[in-house]
Amino acid sequence: MTTAEIQNKAINVDTEKGNFKYPENYTHDAGVGLDEDTVKYISDVKNEDPWILDFRLKALEIFKKKPMPTNWADKDLENIHFDKIRYYLSKGQVPARSWEDVPDDVKETFERLGIPEQERKFLAGVEAQFDSEASYSHMKEDLEKEGVIFVGSTEGLQKYPEIFRPYFGKVIPSSDNKFAALNSATFSGGSFIYVPKGVKLKQPLQAYFRINAENFGQFERTLIIADEGAEITYMEGCTAPKFETATLHSAVVELVALKNAKIQYITVQNWSSNVFNLVTKRGMADEGAEVKWIDCNIGSRLTMKYPGVVLKGKGARGEVLSIALANNGQHQDTGAKMIHLADNTTSNIIAKSISIGEGRSTYRGQVHMPKHLKNCKNNTECDALLINTNSRTDTYPAITTRGENNTVQHEASVSKVSAEQIFYMMQRGLSEGEAMSLAVNGFVNDLMKAFPMEYSVELKRLIDMEMEGSVG
Amino acid sequence: MNTTLLEKPTEPTSTTEPAWLSSLREQGKARFEKLPAPSAHDERWRFASVGRLNTAGFTPAAKPDNKTLEKFKDRSNLISGRAGQLVFADDAQAHFEGISQELIEQGVIYLPIKDAIEQHAELMQRYFLKESTELGSEKYFGLHAQLVKAGSVLYIPKGVEIKDPFINYYWTYGKNSAVFPHTLIIAEDNANASVVDIFFSDTEENKALNVSACNIHAASSAKVFRKVIQNWNEKTVSFQLDTTVAERDSYVKNLAVNIGAERARYENQSRIEGPGAEVKMYSLTIAEENQEFDQRTFQTHNAGNAVSDLLYKNALLDNARTIFSGLIKVAENAQQTDAYQINRNLLLDPTAEANALPGLEILANDVKCSHGATTGNVDSEELFYMMQRGIPKREAMKLMVFGFFEEVISKIDNEELAENLRRLIHEKFGSKIQ
Amino acid sequence: MNTLEIKNLTASIDGQPILKDFNLTIPKGEVHALMGPNGTGKSTLAKVLAGHEDYKVESGEVLLDGENILGEEPDDIAKAGLFLAFQYPLEIPGVSIANFIRAARKARLPENEEINAVEYYKELYAKMDALKMDRKFTARSLNEGFSGGEKKRCEILQMSMLEPRCCIMDETDSGLDIDALRIVSEGVNLMRSPERAFLIITHYQRLLDYIVPDVVHIMYDGHIVHSGDAELAKELEVKGYDWVKEAFAGVPA
Repeated sequence: MTTAEIQNKAINVDTEKGNFKYPENYTHDAGVGLDEDTVKYISDVKNEDPWILDFRLKALEIFKKKPMPTNWADKDLENIHFDKIRYYLSKGQVPARSWEDVPDDVKETFERLGIPEQERKFLAGVEAQFDSEASYSHMKEDLEKEGVIFVGSTEGLQKYPEIFRPYFGKVIPSSDNKFAALNSATFSGGSFIYVPKGVKLKQPLQAYFRINAENFGQFERTLIIADEGAEITYMEGCTAPKFETATLHSAVVELVALKNAKIQYITVQNWSSNVFNLVTKRGMADEGAEVKWIDCNIGSRLTMKYPGVVLKGKGARGEVLSIALANNGQHQDTGAKMIHLADNTTSNIIAKSISIGEGRSTYRGQVHMPKHLKNCKNNTECDALLINTNSRTDTYPAITTRGENNTVQHEASVSKVSAEQIFYMMQRGLSEGEAMSLAVNGFVNDLMKAFPMEYSVELKRLIDMEMEGSVG
Repeated sequence: MNTTLLEKPTEPTSTTEPAWLSSLREQGKARFEKLPAPSAHDERWRFASVGRLNTAGFTPAAKPDNKTLEKFKDRSNLISGRAGQLVFADDAQAHFEGISQELIEQGVIYLPIKDAIEQHAELMQRYFLKESTELGSEKYFGLHAQLVKAGSVLYIPKGVEIKDPFINYYWTYGKNSAVFPHTLIIAEDNANASVVDIFFSDTEENKALNVSACNIHAASSAKVFRKVIQNWNEKTVSFQLDTTVAERDSYVKNLAVNIGAERARYENQSRIEGPGAEVKMYSLTIAEENQEFDQRTFQTHNAGNAVSDLLYKNALLDNARTIFSGLIKVAENAQQTDAYQINRNLLLDPTAEANALPGLEILANDVKCSHGATTGNVDSEELFYMMQRGIPKREAMKLMVFGFFEEVISKIDNEELAENLRRLIHEKFGSKIQ
Repeated sequence: MNTLEIKNLTASIDGQPILKDFNLTIPKGEVHALMGPNGTGKSTLAKVLAGHEDYKVESGEVLLDGENILGEEPDDIAKAGLFLAFQYPLEIPGVSIANFIRAARKARLPENEEINAVEYYKELYAKMDALKMDRKFTARSLNEGFSGGEKKRCEILQMSMLEPRCCIMDETDSGLDIDALRIVSEGVNLMRSPERAFLIITHYQRLLDYIVPDVVHIMYDGHIVHSGDAELAKELEVKGYDWVKEAFAGVPA
């Protein structure tokens, strides 16, 4: 086999688990392209209150006016053809509460992805989204009794407006960036979660996002509110089959951690290499609260995602731990934003990236202490591993500091797996690919420990597959 | 941005100026007129207060009278051991201390730009104004090209090594005067020389615009050490657009100490074109009041097996702002590159603001690259340690802040200049640091 | 006459009490060792005595030669004669050892009085020679890039140059190999005098083979739970700190 064949094989293996699709037989289809009618259609299908339609239409205006991001731009964005994308597709499903009620083809999809099995094993609740709408949502009964709400975005806004409306679109306003506006105009699906005061979830809640249709845009919207002293871990996984043409995933995720609350948000993304993954994620941390993003990006054509934390209350903590892996034809443009707005706030960013073949990984970060604050701390560490001679990595942090007794530290380094290391391991009987996988796993090992066990096992498996044949 | 610079007839530069130069001036003028004013949306101007950049109202000044020029000659006394010295005031030549007969016989050229154009046309046509900045101020480099007349040219032929430095003083004097100093350094194979550029204002009051440029060309195994001392008054708007081209096995050291100007933009780029080259870029900036220091650096590795090392330190007082934006770019195939970039900001007042944008673009995998940026106040544990020895807080602070400067000043490698600088800094900031 | 008297000292950090009703008296000329398990408050005591601002003194008294030092600024406490040899000496970039010690000496002189540079360097070099420190070190930045042993020797050098009346040595033995330990101990022993008191804080008995103390105290949970002569340190070495934890848990001050 030539190197190219080995590498192709590696790429095919990578998405094997997610690379299948079922016939498209949608009852609700907003058609191709985006205008006011598309937005009205989506709102109408969902039978939304007028204020939501109003919110969508305003966002649509912003989307039309806003240019592509400037400071954070990638040229590949020009290849997104907004007029060729389908913005809403569903089978008219309402989320099934029991796995048996899920339509057979959707059920089969998620079973192949291993969703119900995982739920039985260790999750407190699961929501599974197939294209635009949730197909399945279920939460353990005892949580319901404690007052935990775990529903889709449509249901959340309709049934519990008094809880969700005050924060909806507040952490990330529609005007934040072009893609946040696009999501605000067309959003469908996602999870709305409320954890009442003092309730601490011992097991994670999980969502699974699946794109099945070609030329489709998935725009889920997630809002998690942890009331005072509450604690929650949320995990999301994403896949799509391989298509010839580009598919767009543009989510908005807002987290609200009220006083002394803790939110941990874990993402393992494994989109196929035709997906534009342009996601805005931001959390707000009140006094003494903690927001932690654990973000793992494997796959996609272009990912632009910079989870952020607005440290709004005294003593708030923010953290982003991220792993990105860019293979041939992929660009992982990821990073973090930490906005310090109160005294004694601390933030921590650890970003590790791996570039394989002609893959390109970019770290973009912002750390902002713009006011007269005291005793704030930020620590940022970016490490890039370059596997092949033509692999690429960039680092673009932006740090603003003012105030008293604040310290900000940024460090970045670039390294490679040396031929000597590989030779040493091969001399002990490992294949070249195994040796490479081992070295790469060693590189991300300390971050992997932050993931729940089930996820780190999955991650390790994904990395192994990506690494196969990368040596040449 | 409108500018009166172009509305006024520029001084007749020289009627005998060669056609190639007139054409470069024309191109520069066109570039200045055509290119848009800096915008905060341009990544290369991110965080800069572009509104405070104003070239309007400044004009190239008339030549000061001879008595005044004599005065500047006398005040240009920072370094006594030197191989040659040029003094300009408002771009007019105040003094020229040429090189020894011995050096002339070895083929060394050290001349004011104007004379070099007349006497060494071929050399000048090859190197003069050939390296523009790529870091955002192309518009202003255009203006520089159009109006440059003062400056020095140093050419060191193959194998010639000169121990003592060449000193260029660039003073501003008149009211609202615009100056365009230029330093050109060409070191041939195995040549070795050092140059000090000194930028001073006549008084604390004379408002001025500076758009200066420096180009260094270091051929194979050449060694060049260039130092910049910038102490404009705090009414000066300053652009310094410096470039270095380093060939195989050359060694170039750039060191800048900046303590003046109302608003200073410093673009400094080093391009490594040959394997084995080593480029150092050091800078110390002390900013106070409402000063804004905007530093953009670029370390380009187009050849492998080379080293670049950058250390930019900023100390900030009052409401001062600094921006450090640096980029290391390692081209494809530039394997075995070692590139480092460190930015350290010391905040001495809570209202000062430091911005850091340390960047990397790496297209080769067998490299050692790292960057780091830290911003903080004087470390309270270090302060406690010093006070535990009985040193009063104020004194301990001073020791630590001057210790912070020392890392750059100690690299100056000229004790007389280093001492003069320490004195200058003490006089200017000593009473403030507490 | 007592050099150091600590009476009913209670101190906390971030609301967490560390020193609990701590009592200790060191008469002039004596060397006392303070031993105890990690996290028991030994280093906190050193920092509180030196006036570190992170610690809040809730109650109690500390007298140096009969004068109160609690609540004073760290430099005033130092000038009053208390020297703390740090467990982790800080690196001060750009400030040379020579300039640093000179600044500390100058702070002890009346205003306008200058240091005689020739005599100063003569004394400095002599003391460096005694500590087997390379004279080139004077020009190096304080502690920057020093090995563990070099840092500790530099602490002793400062101590001997500043001639304090009361020396607190915080885990001076940590991170030292046997040769460095011997050199450092000799430096301390040379400074022992009837006019000077020492408090040697250590986790291990090893250091006390070289600097033999007059009294050994065992500290646990914020106060001294047991005192004895030099033999106590050896006993402790044999029995280990688990014995302390079992024997003295809940012993009131």
